Amino acid sequence: MNVVVLVKQIPDPEALVAIDGDGVSLDIEQKFAMNLFDEFAIEEALRIKAKHAGKVKVITLGSRKAIEALRTGIAMGADEAVLLEDEAFFDGDGYATAFVLSRAIAKEPFDIILCGRQAIDDDRGEVGPMVAQFLGLPHVGGIVKLDVADGRAFAEVAVEGGKETVEVQLPALFTAQKGLNEPRVPLITGVMKAMKAQISRATAADLGLTTAQTGRQGSKVKVVRYSLPKKKPAVQIIPGTPREAAVEAVRILMDVERVF
Amino acid sequence: MDKILVFVEAKGDGPRKVSLELLSEGLKLAESGQFSMEAVFLGKLSGTVKGEILHYTEKLIHVTDPVLENYTAEGYAMALAGYARATGAKMILAGATQRGRDFLPRVAALLQTGIASDVTGARWNADPMTFIRPMYGGRVLAEVSFSAYPAIVTARPNSFGVGAPLTQKGEFAEFQAGISPEQVKTSIIKTEETTLGKVDLTEADLIVAGGRGLKAAENFRLIEELARTIGATVGATRSVVDAKWRDQADQVGKSGKTVSPKLYMGAGISGAIHHIMGMDTAKVVLAINNDPHAIIFNYANYGIVGDLFEVLPAMTEELRNRLGK
Repeated sequence: MNVVVLVKQIPDPEALVAIDGDGVSLDIEQKFAMNLFDEFAIEEALRIKAKHAGKVKVITLGSRKAIEALRTGIAMGADEAVLLEDEAFFDGDGYATAFVLSRAIAKEPFDIILCGRQAIDDDRGEVGPMVAQFLGLPHVGGIVKLDVADGRAFAEVAVEGGKETVEVQLPALFTAQKGLNEPRVPLITGVMKAMKAQISRATAADLGLTTAQTGRQGSKVKVVRYSLPKKKPAVQIIPGTPREAAVEAVRILMDVERVF
Repeated sequence: MDKILVFVEAKGDGPRKVSLELLSEGLKLAESGQFSMEAVFLGKLSGTVKGEILHYTEKLIHVTDPVLENYTAEGYAMALAGYARATGAKMILAGATQRGRDFLPRVAALLQTGIASDVTGARWNADPMTFIRPMYGGRVLAEVSFSAYPAIVTARPNSFGVGAPLTQKGEFAEFQAGISPEQVKTSIIKTEETTLGKVDLTEADLIVAGGRGLKAAENFRLIEELARTIGATVGATRSVVDAKWRDQADQVGKSGKTVSPKLYMGAGISGAIHHIMGMDTAKVVLAINNDPHAIIFNYANYGIVGDLFEVLPAMTEELRNRLGK
């Protein structure tokens, strides 16, 4: 069973994000982390490999720094890692990024593609489903359980008010939701192996792509400007005993704010 | 005239509120004279839902095919893309619901066009039209424009308002999707309901949430009782979900759900940033915490510094009195 995992290195969720003077670029504190949801994807891939034998390949599109995310994957147990690195890939929207990733994935046969349900920097959640569509594959989004059988897989998805079990023919793509598994902490032996691992690279040319098809040029949606959300006014503390404050809070909500 | 399609989702007996919000925006754009609009519904359509949609659209297109009997991302994407192509649509609007966010990106890939996901605002009259979407957990807003068409947009529930229904119902037409069954390689085998009729957090107008300050799982009944009095949905923080006091489905925050209610009441919640990121577009936030320095007070409109074990029941009782329950 060949499993491909798509991962993204993102700014650490606590990294400071500011808008540049021109309003069209961001100043982000240089602290990085693996996208939370991708950890569930890597873990699930490793569990599939443990049960069904095969290979786990981790792929990321990013700058040289993104190699850290790949090394984490290898430290956890992935067999191969590929960095898609090319200036032409930068600043892509979901479409352009998914397009490049799908080309890279298609280079070798695979049975399953796993990725996080969304990256918590851009918060788009588009790449997984788009990669599936570009490759002509079915996909199941937001899985919390995955069982692989013969040429098929059964996935569970939490839906409003319940759970759905979906059967899908392989090859297929799955996006991981929290609750799918508990990602393992790499062992020291894994970390050492990761530090020595050979990371393959691929550029636009390697994938047979022109700059018009990738990154900013290949994007269908562009950011015109950034802005900050409206600042909330300072909190109004409601004074009094718990009972008094409770009564006043209800009055404010019903008569002043009229929320119900 | 540029045509706008509004993909409509149903829940139970009626269209989802977010679909009505987008139909209302579509109608406003149609009124301007520059656009025509159509509501599009896929799969099984009940008479009641059909009737309600017709009050909010100039035309309702019901796309049918055996393959659409149950939701699959592949099937819905092929059906909607097929209709959009056939009718030369310039824009597709849909709610950024679980389903909307799941299959609309596939529609974009099929139509070789762009998608703006989970937008919270639009500048409809700008040239080009732009859409606002939160990034970095809502800390930054990005204004985006399209260079390909149809422009596909999924909108966060509660970002737009529901307008008045039309006095005259819209027209109705059917469209055969013509998808062959082999093209869909997914099927739903089982659906289990765990909670019936609950309003989903992402669409809720009123949310009452609890955190570790509640001290034990059973104390969530204080939250539930208050929520019941005002018809609110119950939310939870990551730490109580990780502690298994509440289901993952109740989690509000970065790795949970992003909500946009009229009222967010948080009790026993410190206000860790990953939680704030899930609720900071709430219109009114009331925080209840024993600790006057709790970070959540920096993100609240109103705060009560006090013991939630006293405040919550007192609020529930006062609400019952005021609402005559």
